[in-house]
Amino acid sequence: MTAARLRAAVLALAALTLALWVTDVVRQLQGGSAGAGLVFYAVAGVAAVAVALAVARQRGGERMALVIAVWLCVSALDDLAVDWPVSRSATTAWMLAHGLAPSAFAVMVLAYPSGRLRGRGERLLVALAVLAGLVWMGAPLLFFRPGGCATCAPRVSSWLYTGTTFDYLPVGQASWVAFIALGLVFVVLLVGRLRAAPPGARVTLLPLGLAVFFAAAEFIAQRVVWLGGWAGPVAALDWIDRANALLLPLAIFLGLAAIRRRRGPLGDLVVELGRAGPGQVQPALARSIGDSTLELALWIPDRGEFVDEAGMPIDTSAIPRGRVLTAIGPPGEPVAALIHDERLLGQRPLLEAAGSAARLALENTRLQAELRAQLAELRSSRARIVEAADAERRRVERDLHDGAQQRLLALGLALQLLRERNADPELLGQAEAELQTALRELRDLARGIHPTILTEQGLGPAVRSLADRAAIPITVEAGDERYPAAIETAAYFVVAEALNNVAKHAAARSAAVTIDRRNGRLRVEVSDDGCGGAVASAGGGLQGLADRVAAAGASLTLTSEPGAGTTLEVELPCGS
Amino acid sequence: MRLVIADDSALVRDGLRHALQAHGHDVIATAADAEELLAVIRHAPPDVALVDIRMPPTHTTEGLRAATEIRGRNPDVAVLVLSQYVDADFALTLLRDSPAGSGYVLKDRITQLTVLLDAIERLARGETVVDPELVELLLHRPATFRRLGELTGREHDVLALVAEGLSDRAIAERLWLTQKTVETHVRHILGKLALPPDADHNRRVLAVLTYLRAG
Repeated sequence: MTAARLRAAVLALAALTLALWVTDVVRQLQGGSAGAGLVFYAVAGVAAVAVALAVARQRGGERMALVIAVWLCVSALDDLAVDWPVSRSATTAWMLAHGLAPSAFAVMVLAYPSGRLRGRGERLLVALAVLAGLVWMGAPLLFFRPGGCATCAPRVSSWLYTGTTFDYLPVGQASWVAFIALGLVFVVLLVGRLRAAPPGARVTLLPLGLAVFFAAAEFIAQRVVWLGGWAGPVAALDWIDRANALLLPLAIFLGLAAIRRRRGPLGDLVVELGRAGPGQVQPALARSIGDSTLELALWIPDRGEFVDEAGMPIDTSAIPRGRVLTAIGPPGEPVAALIHDERLLGQRPLLEAAGSAARLALENTRLQAELRAQLAELRSSRARIVEAADAERRRVERDLHDGAQQRLLALGLALQLLRERNADPELLGQAEAELQTALRELRDLARGIHPTILTEQGLGPAVRSLADRAAIPITVEAGDERYPAAIETAAYFVVAEALNNVAKHAAARSAAVTIDRRNGRLRVEVSDDGCGGAVASAGGGLQGLADRVAAAGASLTLTSEPGAGTTLEVELPCGS
Repeated sequence: MRLVIADDSALVRDGLRHALQAHGHDVIATAADAEELLAVIRHAPPDVALVDIRMPPTHTTEGLRAATEIRGRNPDVAVLVLSQYVDADFALTLLRDSPAGSGYVLKDRITQLTVLLDAIERLARGETVVDPELVELLLHRPATFRRLGELTGREHDVLALVAEGLSDRAIAERLWLTQKTVETHVRHILGKLALPPDADHNRRVLAVLTYLRAG
């Protein structure tokens, strides 16, 4: 049932209950009975209905309010119909209400504070109470006839009267015994619940517990009185009964209010802290505790001092008058402290709970910030490693050209001079051939390490130059735009490695390289018409590519269905 | 012939100067970097400048830029770029604006003095010089190679020499053919490749190189 429907049901039951009560009071006034008893009765009835309505107004209290309203309504019917003189309907209503009132009472108490019964034990207890009530009042419903019972109130039989009768008093007594037993179980259940409740929740159960024990004791006592047949204390017990009609809903209302009071600010605080960014924890705490001057102090064990959220030290020896410091955490090992108005000292549990919640949030924020910083550091160090490796490649390439190559060239010139001095031409020819090979190999090595055309003319010309050297036709679609060096290098080696893989594994007839810029990203695509089925294995060239690309802040997509060629796609961030 | 040598390596610079002077050339100046080279040429323009592509400060393609600048300022000075890079784009950068008198050869050629001397002679005559290794690379590009399928073996040889910048007469000498036969071959080749017949063999070099590079 929705909250709105529950509220509507509570409202209807409350109206019905009030009508019954007013009728009863008016009837009693007409009957000449007046005085304190009636006034209290009237006030208690109206107040109880008001409490039920108040509970229904609380968020989440609708179901509890319905349970209260049902009990109030059954009780009112019980009270009204008990000596409604002439109607068989009244007799039927009273007998039903009277029999079910104890069950309604049990449901209300057991369902507190959620409005629902919990567990099979509670449901069984209620079911047995209903059964006992039906047996207890079932006999008079079926067999009561006026004059058959000296102490019985009704003057007519119920609608269900069978036309015969017998002495059913033992049946009633048996059901009273059952009620007493159930009442004892009920009390034991409640004691158990009170004991099991956590310290914080026990306070909220206490008003209910007191009222319940009061009511249960009265209920059991009344059954004992009836069982024994003593009529004397009955009037006094009725008074207690009426007081309970007020006290119980009131206790429930106060208990629920206490729960909300305890849960409300902290619940809101936790929600708020979940959203709070750095520097927002202190205001959130101040709001939830209700002290706008509240300051949060975090204990830094390494430094042995308190700091604020911004990390600035707080001088705890210079706290002004009227303000106090409440440390949070185990004695001697504070995790944080709140500096607040000393009038809040009475609410120490709240302060501690709020402080702990805040500490969690702060710790969370701190850890996240730390993690983010580490991640950023990791990313940039990875990028730096790649950049360093690239710089190293350029350096090696340069050393090869400007060192080894120059010396080989000088050697070649020397050989030329030797030739002019009539050295052995065959030997000289061999030496020159070796030298040419060495120079070519050196050139290829240097190009593989770092192609100068990449730094000098950019990605497009460098990739075209790669394609010139391939064994299969490679279509290159690339402009002459320049990109940041790290991006060009990453893209170049992606293409180089991909074309290398095509040559080695793909058995392709042709391949295509497309380089373009889309939405501020440099897109590199290398596709072939080969056998497909390529996978990036650990330690393989593709994995190395993926790592290099990841270091540049991009990802690599490999599409390689067997028999359908391979497409490698990389999108690199390229700034503006 | 009046020559200028620009190379940041003294070893190479001096070795080259000795070798060239031994073959009757007049090395009027040497330079260790592009700036010095430009100053030297402004001061006394040579017939041919031999320019190392890698020079300070970055040791990448300073020589290429200097060569382009020299050719732009002083078209009478032929420039031979001695390069470590077999990259068509570098060569085309140099040849694009004024192929006549521009040369791009591998630096290895300084150890093959006859090849180097031949290149210098041709440049001085206003021809174009492209390193055979670069031409071979372009001819063997898979895409190019397929398109050249219609050429006969002899035409293929002639095309390679055209791309290197050789004149019809030089090709004829190299292949032991008559100049007339070479001219016929060239006409056939240009027809088959759908290139316009061009009397200027330097522009022809550029057209052929661009054709080889395309696709």
